[in-house]
Amino acid sequence: MTATLVTDPVIDELVGICGPDNVFTDRSSRVNRARVPAPFPVHRWAEHVPDVVVLPTSAEQISEVVKLANRHRIPVVPRAGGTGLTDGAVPLRHGILVDVKLMNKILEIDLDDRTVTVQPGINMLKLNEELRQHGVIYPDDPASYPCSLVGGRIGTSGWSLIGGRYGHTRDLVISFQIVLPTGELIWVGDGGGRKVRKSSTGYQLKHLFMGHQGTLGIVTEAVLELVPRPEAEFAAFFSYPDYETAWRSTGALAKSGLATLAGVVLFDEWKLDYLRRDDEAYIPQPDDVRCVVATAMYGTTDEVRPGAKRLLRIGTQTGGAYLGDEISQGDWASRHDRYATPLHGRLRDGQVVPMSWHCEDASINWSKLPQVRREWHDIVARLGDRFRIFDDWGMFAYTNGAFKPWGDYLTEIDVGIWEQELDDAAWDAWVTAKRDIAAVAIAYGGSISACHGACRAGEVDLVPEELGGGWEVMKKVKRVLDPLNIMNPGKYLLDQAYEGDEP
Amino acid sequence: MSSTEREFVEQWRNAAYNCYSSGHKFCREVCPVTQVTRNEVHTPTAFHANVVAMEKGLLSIEDVARDYVHCTQCGACELRCPNTLFTGDFYRFRTRTVQLVKAVRALAVDSGIHQPGWQRWVEETNRQKSEPVLGDVPVSQEHVRDWAAGLDLPVGGETILFCDCEGAFHRTSVPRAAARILQAAGVEFGLMREQWCCGGPAAEMGYAERAREFARHNVEDWRAVGAKRIIVFDPHDYISFTEDYPSYFGDEYDFEIVLFVELLAELIRTGRLALTRPVERVVTYHDACRLNKRKGIHEAPREVLRAIPGLTFKDVDHVTQWSYCSGAGGGLSIERPDLTAEISRRRVEQAGGLGVDTLVSACVWSERPLTEQGGKLDQPLEVMDLLEIVALSAGLEDTP
Ligand SMILES: Cc1cc2nc3c(=O)[nH]c(=O)nc-3n(C[C@H](O)[C@H](O)[C@H](O)COP(=O)(O)OP(=O)(O)OC[C@H]3O[C@@H](n4cnc5c(N)ncnc54)[C@H](O)[C@@H]3O)c2cc1C
Ligand code: SF4
Ligand code: SF4
Repeated sequence: MTATLVTDPVIDELVGICGPDNVFTDRSSRVNRARVPAPFPVHRWAEHVPDVVVLPTSAEQISEVVKLANRHRIPVVPRAGGTGLTDGAVPLRHGILVDVKLMNKILEIDLDDRTVTVQPGINMLKLNEELRQHGVIYPDDPASYPCSLVGGRIGTSGWSLIGGRYGHTRDLVISFQIVLPTGELIWVGDGGGRKVRKSSTGYQLKHLFMGHQGTLGIVTEAVLELVPRPEAEFAAFFSYPDYETAWRSTGALAKSGLATLAGVVLFDEWKLDYLRRDDEAYIPQPDDVRCVVATAMYGTTDEVRPGAKRLLRIGTQTGGAYLGDEISQGDWASRHDRYATPLHGRLRDGQVVPMSWHCEDASINWSKLPQVRREWHDIVARLGDRFRIFDDWGMFAYTNGAFKPWGDYLTEIDVGIWEQELDDAAWDAWVTAKRDIAAVAIAYGGSISACHGACRAGEVDLVPEELGGGWEVMKKVKRVLDPLNIMNPGKYLLDQAYEGDEP
Repeated sequence: MSSTEREFVEQWRNAAYNCYSSGHKFCREVCPVTQVTRNEVHTPTAFHANVVAMEKGLLSIEDVARDYVHCTQCGACELRCPNTLFTGDFYRFRTRTVQLVKAVRALAVDSGIHQPGWQRWVEETNRQKSEPVLGDVPVSQEHVRDWAAGLDLPVGGETILFCDCEGAFHRTSVPRAAARILQAAGVEFGLMREQWCCGGPAAEMGYAERAREFARHNVEDWRAVGAKRIIVFDPHDYISFTEDYPSYFGDEYDFEIVLFVELLAELIRTGRLALTRPVERVVTYHDACRLNKRKGIHEAPREVLRAIPGLTFKDVDHVTQWSYCSGAGGGLSIERPDLTAEISRRRVEQAGGLGVDTLVSACVWSERPLTEQGGKLDQPLEVMDLLEIVALSAGLEDTP
C-alpha cells in the first residue's frame, strides 16, 4: 500500500461513524498528530502527516472505522498520549489517525476483586487522583506518568519505575478489549475471564497484543490491577566515587530480597554531569560524586521501616555514601520531571542550545552493564566528533529486583540532538549509530528495547536478527490478523510479511 | 508567509523550540481546556509546536488562529512545565505559554483574522468603555459608579480603588464589600473620575492596540487625580496593572499596585479590621488562576479564611488546584461558553466532593460561571467572594 485513498466520500463515512464534531481534516489537527517527543528530521515533518483524524468515543466506532479502512485499504494509526519514544504513533503512510484521548472514562472500580476498568485514553495520574480516594492506586509509574495514557502503555508494553514492587504494564493490565485489524472486537487476557490474573487456558494472547505498537489493532477498554495505596514510601540515594563500585552496589541492592524494594536506578557520570547543569532544583552534591544509585521502597509502615534500615546498610556496606534525606526524598519526588531539559544541551565549546532528548533503551543483564556502557558511550562519542549537534547526556539503568522474573536492567543512553540543525547527513549518521547501539545490546545477549519498542529507523533493522525464528512467526501472525496491512503499516518492517502480494 | 508572520516566527522560534524539543506534554493534564476537549490542538505544547510548523511552512496563522481560542490563560501549563521547574531563571527562560497565546492572538488580529465573539466584544467595549457585561444592566460611563450608591465615596486622592467591569455592573456586592471593608479599617481611598476597562481582556484576545488605549486613558485619569496607589480586588486587573501596563509605559509607570486580598490579610493581622461575627459555613477556597498560578499568591486568602470565626475551612492544597480553573478567563467564555460551563462544572463538582456548602473565590470573573454550575449540583453550592464573606464576619453586610 503506498498512496492514501482518503477521499471525500470516505470522510463522509467517517463523519457518519464518529459524528461531525469528532472528525478533523484541517491542517492543524493533522500536523499536530504527526509528532512524538523523539526527534525526527523536522524538515521531513510533512511526510508523516495523517490525512484525517478521528476522535472516537466508543469501541464500536473504532471497529467501524477499521472496517471502513479495510474496505478502502486505508492505513490506520492509533494514537494515545503521543509520548512514545519510538515513533509508534507517527503515521508513516498518512491515512486515518485514530486518537483515543476522548475515551478516557473510568468504567468500573471493583474494590472486592481489586480491579479498575478504564477506557484507553486515560492517564495514570488522573486515574490515581480518583482511585486514591478509595485507598487504592494503579501502580504503573513510568517517567511519563503525567502524560502517557493507558492505550499507549499497552501499545508499547512499558516499564514502571516502581515495577519491582508492583510489576510493569504487562503485569498490571489484566485483560483488555481490542479491535482487530479487520474490525472484529475481541477480549484478551490470561485465559478468557476479564478479571483473572493467571490462567493456563489456551495461548497467552494477552502478551501478543502487548507492545505491538498499533500494528495488531486498537485497544478500546482495559481491566487494570489495583493495589493498596502505599502507607509508607522510602527513598535512599547513594553516591559513589566510580562506576565500578556503583554498579556492584546496584547488584547487591537489587538482590537484597527485600520485598518492598520498588526500584533501583543507577546513574553514571555523564548523566550526573547533565543533571547538574544549571538546574535550579538540583540539590548540589559534592564534586567527587561520580555516580548515584537511587532506591525506593513502598509498602506498609511495618514493612518499610525495618526494610529501609537493611537497605541503608547494604548501600553503605557496598561502597555507597548515603546522600541524606533531603536529596533522596526531593530527587525521588521529582523523578518524573528530570528527563528532557532541552537547555541542558551543550555544543562541544560549551554553548547552550536547545536540544531534543533521544533515548535508546535496551534490556541488559546486570553482569553485562559495564561493557555495554563503555561501547555505547564510544558510539555516541564518535558521532559527536563528526557532528557538533549531538551531546551525550549519559546513561542510567534501572531494575526492579533481580529476584523477580522481570529483574532485567532497562539500560538507557540519552543523547541530546540539536534538532533545529539536523540535516540529512547528520540524520543518517544518527540512524547508523542507533543500529550500532542495538547491535551491542544483542551482542551481549540483551534485547534492543526494554520499554519503548524497537520500530524506529536504525534499530528496527536488527529486529529480525534479535528474534531469529520468532521473526518469521511474527510476520505470519501479522499477515493472518491483518491481511490487508491496514494497521500502522510500515512499522516494524512488517511490510515484509506481504512481500510478493499484489500492490 | 506574510512579513508580520515572519517577524513573529523569528521572535518566537527559539522559545517554541524549547518546548517542541522537550515535547513531553506534562502540561497537558493540568490544562483545564484540554481536560475537557481532549483535543491535541488545544494543548499548550501544540501552541508551541505550531510556531515550529509555521517556520517550516506546514501551517499558517489561518490554520491555527481558532485553536488559540482554547486557552483561559490560567498559567497551569507554565508551572507544570519541567523547563520552568528546573531551569527557570538560570537561562532567563521559562516556558511562557500565556504570553505566546496572547502573541498568536495578536498576530491573528493583525492578519485580519477575527473571532466573531471577541470582535463584537471589543467593539462594544470600545463604545461603552466598559465590558459589555451580560444582562439588563446599563453599561456606560454614566453608570460606572452606580455600584457605590449611598457609600459616599470621594473621587480621586492618593489611593484609588479600581473596580473592574464585572464588579461594577454585575456583581456589585463585591465592590461594595470592598469599599465598606476599607472604610471600616480606616483606609482612605477614592474612585476614578472616569474608569475605563483595564484593557486586559482586549490584550488577551489579541486586540493589543485597543488594550493600550484603555490603559493610556486609565493612567491619565490616575495622574489627573494625583493617584499613587491603586487597590485592585480583581486578579485580572492585577495582571494588567503589574504586567501589561509596565510593558506599555516602561519606567514612567510608577504606581504602587495593591492587591486587595494581601491588604486584607494585613488589616486583619494588625487588628485594623476585626472579624467578630461567626460565619457558620463549611467552605473551600477556589484558587483563582491569576493569583495562585500566575502570581504565586495562595497564602493570603487562606490566612483570611482561617481568621473568620465559626467558619469550617476545608482546604485543598494549592498545587492540587493547578489543575482546576473556573473556565472564565482568557475570553473563553465568549467564544466557547460550553467549555467554560463544563470547566466550571468540574470545579464545583470537586468542591462538592469535600462536603462544603460554600465555594469561596477571590476572583469576580470566576463567580458567574461557578455560581451557575454550583446551583445545579444535587447539594447546591453557594459561591461567595472572599470579600463578601469577610464583610459578613466584620458586621458590614449591605442593607440597601
Ligand atoms: C518524559 C518521558 C519519559 C518516559 N519514561 C518512560 C518510562 O519510564 N517507561 C516507559 O515505559 N516509557 C517511558 N516513556 C515513553 C512513553 O511514555 C511510553 O512509551 C508510553 O507507553 C507511550 O504512551 P502514549 O500514551 O503516549 O502512547 P503513544 O505514543 O500515543 O502510542 C505508543 C504506541 O502505542 C500505540 N497505541 C496507542 N494507543 C493504542 C491503543 N489504544 N491500542 C493499541 N495501540 C495503541 C501507538 O500506535 C504507538 O505505536 C517516556 C516518555 C517521555 C516523553
Ligand atoms: S509546555 Fe512544557 S511541559 Fe508542555 S510540552 Fe512544552 S516543555 Fe513539555
Ligand atoms: S494557560 Fe491554562 S488554559 Fe492556557 S494552555 Fe496553559 S493550562 Fe491551558
